[in-house]
Amino acid sequence: MSIGMQTNHSDNGVVTLLIEGDIDMSSSTVVRTHLTDLFDKNQKAIVVDLSKVSYIDSSGIATLVEGLQWSHANNTKFRLTRLTPMVKDVFEIARLLTVFEVFDSNEEALEGV
Amino acid sequence: MTETVKLTIPSDPKYLGLTRKVVFHLLTCHDVAKEIIPRLVLCVDEACSNIIKYSYNGCPDQPIEISFSLDQGFFEVKIRDYGKQCDSRDIKPRPIHEIKPGGLGTYFINEIMDEVKYCTNRDQGTLLTMCKNLKGELASTRGETR
Repeated sequence: MSIGMQTNHSDNGVVTLLIEGDIDMSSSTVVRTHLTDLFDKNQKAIVVDLSKVSYIDSSGIATLVEGLQWSHANNTKFRLTRLTPMVKDVFEIARLLTVFEVFDSNEEALEGV
Repeated sequence: MTETVKLTIPSDPKYLGLTRKVVFHLLTCHDVAKEIIPRLVLCVDEACSNIIKYSYNGCPDQPIEISFSLDQGFFEVKIRDYGKQCDSRDIKPRPIHEIKPGGLGTYFINEIMDEVKYCTNRDQGTLLTMCKNLKGELASTRGETR
């Protein structure tokens, strides 16, 4: 299962990462590597756009939890946007919707960062 | 569906997508409400991922045998592996209030399925049986059209 990632860097140090495909055991390591690269560049904020992710499993959730922990440790923002119904349902089951900063649009997520 | 549908995949993560498609198609064909299907797909996927990771330690060429049946509103999945056995008492989801990576797969399975049994009473490997009562989850019983 291939996974695509598109990164958009803004001038103010905010990165928007669009992920496309299923995030499962076979692809979550790719997402993790990509996020780690962004963390290493010490971005001010990372906004992860999940509108093209139709499936996520526990390994994908774990990768995003790592991102959240990184942001807490580095006093930066890590925000999720445009969750598809399946992804939102998995977050609900895991009771993580209130743990992450989740937005309906990228514009809302980019406000105040 | 009173027949049993069987699928055998190698223990390679690249076949998880195929397994998900099979489960999705099977449940869609049998009139299961669309809201519950992704949750059942998730359970099968998580169970297979756990087998790849823990029973086979990432070895990609070992068999995972999956059988599905949907009879009188009961969906049953049996997943057989021939890898390392573990004590079912050790298979515990992490407490959900702990926000940390990992340990969620078993939590999802236990949360979504009605019955989860691990049987290691055999020479090799484990037989996992997961059941879900779908009465009331079939589109036809809810007056929905497909």
